[in-house]
Amino acid sequence: MALQGILVVELAGLAPGPFCAMVLADFGARVVRVERPGSHYDVSRLGRGKRSLALDLKQPRGAAVLRRLCARSDVLLEPFRSGVMEKLQLGPEILQRDNPRLIYARLTGFGQSGSFSRLAGHDINYLALSGVLSKIGRNGENPYAPLNLLADFAGGGLMCVLGIMMALFERTRSGKGQVIDANMVEGTAYLSSFLWKTQKSSLWEAPRGQNILDGGAPFYTTYRTADGEFMAVGAIEPQFYELLIKGLGELTLLKMQQEAVSSQARQTLLSVKRPSLQPKSWGTVWL
Amino acid sequence: MALQGILVVELAGLAPGPFCAMVLADFGARVVRVERPGSHYDVSRLGRGKRSLALDLKQPRGAAVLRRLCARSDVLLEPFRSGVMEKLQLGPEILQRDNPRLIYARLTGFGQSGSFSRLAGHDINYLALSGVLSKIGRNGENPYAPLNLLADFAGGGLMCVLGIMMALFERTRSGKGQVIDANMVEGTAYLSSFLWKTQKSSLWEAPRGQNILDGGAPFYTTYRTADGEFMAVGAIEPQFYELLIKGLGLKSDELPNQMSMDDWPEMKKKFAAVFAKKTKAEWCQIFDGTDACVTPVLTLEEVVHHDHSKERGSFITNEEQSMSPRPAPLLSNTPAIPSFKRDPFVGEHTEEILDEFGFSREEIDQLKSDKIIESNKAGSKLWILYPHSNIQK
Repeated sequence: MALQGILVVELAGLAPGPFCAMVLADFGARVVRVERPGSHYDVSRLGRGKRSLALDLKQPRGAAVLRRLCARSDVLLEPFRSGVMEKLQLGPEILQRDNPRLIYARLTGFGQSGSFSRLAGHDINYLALSGVLSKIGRNGENPYAPLNLLADFAGGGLMCVLGIMMALFERTRSGKGQVIDANMVEGTAYLSSFLWKTQKSSLWEAPRGQNILDGGAPFYTTYRTADGEFMAVGAIEPQFYELLIKGLGELTLLKMQQEAVSSQARQTLLSVKRPSLQPKSWGTVWL
Repeated sequence: MALQGILVVELAGLAPGPFCAMVLADFGARVVRVERPGSHYDVSRLGRGKRSLALDLKQPRGAAVLRRLCARSDVLLEPFRSGVMEKLQLGPEILQRDNPRLIYARLTGFGQSGSFSRLAGHDINYLALSGVLSKIGRNGENPYAPLNLLADFAGGGLMCVLGIMMALFERTRSGKGQVIDANMVEGTAYLSSFLWKTQKSSLWEAPRGQNILDGGAPFYTTYRTADGEFMAVGAIEPQFYELLIKGLGLKSDELPNQMSMDDWPEMKKKFAAVFAKKTKAEWCQIFDGTDACVTPVLTLEEVVHHDHSKERGSFITNEEQSMSPRPAPLLSNTPAIPSFKRDPFVGEHTEEILDEFGFSREEIDQLKSDKIIESNKAGSKLWILYPHSNIQK
């Protein structure tokens, strides 16, 4: 496997760190997850492929154990707020002096510096501070965070794996490790670069929820079906949109509508309900 | 930089591929973006750090040009539906026979196989097919796709960068390239593994929109302020929740238990009424610097001026005064150095690239006169007429 022989020490935390370490394990790294003694179970649920070591880092002798592990490891992944590892005498200067090849990955919400760096937070806060949350949500509603996928997992865990892989690759040339500041605010913003790059374009000219990609367009959204389930529609290009309309049977119906001579006949046609879709679809079909 | 000396050939497409290639460019790779002659501008807007070659791949001589480029490159990134490259005689068997070190990355929506693999689609479709879309949305509403961030960029582009990095690293040991099937349905599902791993837990026991993380909880959602702005609340743990209540000026003993799901709708109304009484700035005064997990919902304009981003330099400006997020994550020794220059015009570097790859002056001239390639050093005359031009501020 791609990461055969790579040794990772993961200090237990929630969501982003565990996911990052699980990806490394999936691709062949040997991952040791260090958990507090007394923890009942791995709350992250992302322990696939890992081995678990219960160790009290707060005790100096516990910290010394970790130091010995890191002296022989390739990657350390820690999720604590800026300054915590330093207080435990386990900061990067110390561990990389022991092991200059060590890749020291620091995965947090707000980063290693900055006015928010010592504060608590969750996915929704990082998403909010990145600017990205302000773009997500339906017309007339408050901004909506899509579960904890964007900051915790995409801008957080996955972005951190990327940083670790960059450092591992670079190390094959330089022989040295690095310190990685992987934080969810910046990771989520970077992931969403497209939003900044198209900020002034017509793609986002309407208020939130009224644009093509944020739920405004009838051809890029979900619809409820007769059995209470849902279909997703993403027919942006004209040739795909044509097929959408065709599939909805509207083309036939609209043609019939055009051919209807009397207003009576037109009324009758307009009142026909499509059995498979809500009336909403009617208001949105136009020529 | 981390990817110094790595040569990437990107076949132009939308969103996922361009983002993937931009990340590689940000971290030091030399990226050649191959676009169709006649394209007016790079619709992806993600051309930072790349050079542009306009080449007609549909012509056999055009395909032959690409073959020569790939013979000397490290990564090929192609976004076409399964089978398209094979039809052009540019499939992996051929290109990796020329260059066994080539990493052949195939970034699509549905993948290289399977009943949907030759169909058209967009982010919302891949998100839907992954299972993930069904979990996202407010109570009583249809599932809602969060723009095109989850499938196009996270499960698509970013996941593909990861695959390429894995292959590059592995190649330092084996000396060989690989074929990467990076597709958005599987990428988005894998990214969201947590959902499957906690599927049976109490985290998702209520219908969509009524759980803690999907908008059900009063302590994990957004609220409107007096000035029509928004604050984000993420106070899950009891000690943070206490600070939230305190900051709102409420008393816990006058409220239902934090985790009493039946009371959540009422509590949301109560919190909403309180938030509506003060402006965003006033709420920031109260909550900034605390562990209440309450933060402003910054707009794209506000975020570049916010103290935290300013202190960290989280946003970069280029020569056209456009601001965008600095590449993440931060590497201490070999940080990404994103290009300061404007995005390239289509075909701006055609001749210089071919020259670098060993094409003679005669060959280049012939290809040009036969319209296999296009050279556009000054920029298309037509771009000024488009409102979406690069120069737009």
